Amino acid sequence: MSFRKRNISLSPGVDRNAVPNATAHPAAPVSTPGIRPSPDDGRPTTSTGTRSLDNLLAGHAGLPMGKILLVEENGTTDFAGALLRYYAAEGVIQEQKVHVIGVPEQWGRSLPGLIGSVESLDEKRSDRRKDDRMKIAWRYERLGEFGAVAGSRDAPNNHGEQDAAAKEAPAFCHAFDLTKRLTHPSITNMSFIPLMPSRESPFLAILKRLQTEITSSANTIHRIVIPSLLNPTIYPPNACQPEHVLQFFHALKALMSAHGTRVTAMITMPLSLYPRSSGLVRWIELLSDGVIELCPFPHSADAMATSGAATSQEEPPQGLGVYSEPPAIRD
Amino acid sequence: MAPINLSHRRTHNLLLISKLLSLRDTASPLTLVLDSLEQPATPLLKEYIRRAKLSKVHVTLVAFETLKQPDGVDAFVSTRRKSPADIVKEVSAVYQPVAASNSSRRRLILIDSINPLLNSKRVDPGFDLSSFLGSIIAPTSPSAKIDVSLVVTHHQDVPELPQQSPYSPSPISVLTYLATSIITLHSFSHVLAQKAARDRSLAPPVFGLEEEQEGILLGRLDRLAGTGQAEGIVIELEHRRKSGRGVLEWYLLPPASRYSPQHPKEIVTLLDDNVLYNPPMERDPSAGDEEPTSTFELGLTDRQRREREGVVLPYFDAQHNDGPGEGGRILYDMGEEDDFDEEEDEI
Amino acid sequence: MPSQPPLPPLLASYVSNLPDSSLTLVSSILGATSNWLVLRFLHAALSAPNPNVAFGSDEPQNGIKKKVVLVSFMRSYEFWRTEAKRLGLDLARLADKQQFAFIDGLSELFYAPQATSTPPSISPAGLGSPRTTLPMRSPPGAVPGRSPQPVPTARGVRGNVTTKAEPGIAKKLQFSGRGLASLDALEKDISSVIEQQKSSMEDGDELLLIIDQPDLLLAATGPSMGIGATEISEWITALQQSAHATVLTLATDAPLIQNASTSDVKMATPLETEHAALVIGLAHRAQSVMQLRTLDTGAAKDVSGVLRISRGGGLNTSEKENLEEREALYFIQRDGGVRVFGRGES
Repeated sequence: MSFRKRNISLSPGVDRNAVPNATAHPAAPVSTPGIRPSPDDGRPTTSTGTRSLDNLLAGHAGLPMGKILLVEENGTTDFAGALLRYYAAEGVIQEQKVHVIGVPEQWGRSLPGLIGSVESLDEKRSDRRKDDRMKIAWRYERLGEFGAVAGSRDAPNNHGEQDAAAKEAPAFCHAFDLTKRLTHPSITNMSFIPLMPSRESPFLAILKRLQTEITSSANTIHRIVIPSLLNPTIYPPNACQPEHVLQFFHALKALMSAHGTRVTAMITMPLSLYPRSSGLVRWIELLSDGVIELCPFPHSADAMATSGAATSQEEPPQGLGVYSEPPAIRD
Repeated sequence: MAPINLSHRRTHNLLLISKLLSLRDTASPLTLVLDSLEQPATPLLKEYIRRAKLSKVHVTLVAFETLKQPDGVDAFVSTRRKSPADIVKEVSAVYQPVAASNSSRRRLILIDSINPLLNSKRVDPGFDLSSFLGSIIAPTSPSAKIDVSLVVTHHQDVPELPQQSPYSPSPISVLTYLATSIITLHSFSHVLAQKAARDRSLAPPVFGLEEEQEGILLGRLDRLAGTGQAEGIVIELEHRRKSGRGVLEWYLLPPASRYSPQHPKEIVTLLDDNVLYNPPMERDPSAGDEEPTSTFELGLTDRQRREREGVVLPYFDAQHNDGPGEGGRILYDMGEEDDFDEEEDEI
Repeated sequence: MPSQPPLPPLLASYVSNLPDSSLTLVSSILGATSNWLVLRFLHAALSAPNPNVAFGSDEPQNGIKKKVVLVSFMRSYEFWRTEAKRLGLDLARLADKQQFAFIDGLSELFYAPQATSTPPSISPAGLGSPRTTLPMRSPPGAVPGRSPQPVPTARGVRGNVTTKAEPGIAKKLQFSGRGLASLDALEKDISSVIEQQKSSMEDGDELLLIIDQPDLLLAATGPSMGIGATEISEWITALQQSAHATVLTLATDAPLIQNASTSDVKMATPLETEHAALVIGLAHRAQSVMQLRTLDTGAAKDVSGVLRISRGGGLNTSEKENLEEREALYFIQRDGGVRVFGRGES
């Protein structure tokens, strides 16, 4: 099933009244661009830069603030890396502070180019032009209803004002083109935290910098981007010791919960090197708030023919997203 | 098995388990109890303590995982933060006042779980399990002669840590080698379920950790389907006699609620004698002849049988010698179409 | 969805009136978290006996006052406070009344923000050496007082570790050094909070100690830091001794348990072996084990998971072994209410 926004009208089936504590969550200032309350329980969320991924995040229609999303990928494809670039690019567009860990600054130059906001793109969807956005066939469970609802919920209820509001309100999620390069004034604002070889935990320096930067700029929204965690070409060999990587995750989790309204993190991890059947990976998953496993299909004609493409107009799926834990439904 | 054989085995082996559990004649200085989450050793340890109380044996519990001193235990040795040498010292120390008063010559030492000791990071590499157990059993002060029985519990399902020296035998091998009796515990309902499956030539079911299902530690549920009122624990005993001959027997220990703590007689039975494990053969004398059962009535009523006997079969008369056929000879009249050659053919 | 009673009737007998010096394990896996069950333990111990009585009335239940010390290694105080509120428990107020104490094992366990770390002389090498300049004081968050900002307001007061940094949090644990010494320090911190709670206790009052995921401590340190299953297990024993009853939550995910349990022990990593040894060893000590897992048949709309309650291997001090083993399904509603029901029931 390819998940794509269709203009489904708001379903009345979900009991909105069952969210009595919507105000209990510290709401971010309404004016903050790129942040909107979750339709599920009102907690602030931000976009991952991929609309279909947003819609899958447990009905929040975005990544809730203060949460760590772990994207695992099998094989040697780099769809997770693409997702991560969308996430970083979205942060740049929303003028959030993006911290990228472990990779050189060239990584930042390869962010995908902006096409426009998803909303504006949806209007042009009828003529179905070339669409390079990344789509993944998600095998999602019992979340579709929320996603569908959430997708349409950002439109104001008052239909008369819809068009005007759509123009005025800053876009929540943007569409990007992987074949282009992002140019945006705030792209230089990204910070790249290198890994320092050290006899102690290689993560200490990272934590220190994150801690300093996040506490020192109190009104900024931060995004922590960790590409290919524990990849031996980036990380020193001792990084995969549990006392290093798990302590890092724990400290990261502490940092996120301390600044729960203004930080999100997205981490990718190569499963070929660190299989899910290992205890270390399971602890990393337990310490993350949401886990997504990408299982790319092998590229063959057969796979195309039997794929889940509903119509010939849709592109065949390139992989399967297996949802391990709904991020932060109940924490 | 012949009945004589079974009764001999019964007397013999019941006497043996009784001796072992009641610590008579120091039948087994070192007993190793292998338990698992599916059948923990606690009921058996309680039974040890109960019997020790009945025969006024001094009981010491070396607690690696027990928090509080249980009822019936005379001395409780906590092992937290103690080196093996300290533990040995304390175990012998708690008995000194008792030995002085000379009230009891027998002593039972229980170790509730040996695993923490084996897995400990603190124990130095020179730690030798056999000498540790040996120094617990052998009294440090040889003045008073006491019979010490040591019962060591080992949780089979707790994984062993990798050996520090790859060439030395693993601790569990050492334990089983040293032990004079090895008791492996099974849950009765699981034994029944596995037997039922075996009787049908099915793969025996597995429980708890062996199910290898995510999130399952314990499979034991009170009402395991198809096992009925199975209570109690199954004891698989391997006893090494001094003569070198081994005894292997399966017993059943009923749950503690079935008998009073002062019950003097032997309550352990052979597993083979259990009604649930070995249901008695249906030997109904009236249904002696083994007729296949079916929904049709294949038998005869008395009247049918009488009437059947009264039926005269055709040619019955012909079989009498004095009848027309003279005992069954074939009577035949030649016709002209018969080509009868007197030289060749005979009637 | 009708709103559910805070304590599902089926659960009531398992989470309340835990026997003396008992150990209860709550095991969870990825996708079937134990938070809701911990909240039920909190509720059973802390809620006013009569739901009609306004919450907070000082009426003792059966004359026994219950106190709870919650040590959480994976969740922030804010999380527990918010979730408990949905059940009608005001943790902040209970903390003021000395009925509840929260020990934060998340914020500063392995990496303390410099400003609140211990003085430099004690600070372990490599664990965030303090900065020479005071960091910029963080302005209050968007909604002050709502969001947890462990950036303490009293930033200048360094070295004064015993200061309550935040309302509601009795202590923030910090792990330093290695081996037994570091565990001893943690034990001392927790014990001091327990003793503080006990100081206002009368005879017969019960103190429930809940430790949320102590297995994290083992996983994130491990044998290379001189900490193994036996050490953590002894650490728990020490804490157990000062509490009436202890509840632990532990992870029993397949990779953490079964990699080491199968015959192929050589393939298991030390992390897996130690974790399995800890969890199985604790199950041998526990009086009851409440196992949470996801449905075997996949996700369902109206079932969140399966709860199996079994007796552990622990020696029962009391003769009555009346814990009935059972298996039930549970469903967590969006409003936080939980329904527990047998298979086939709805």
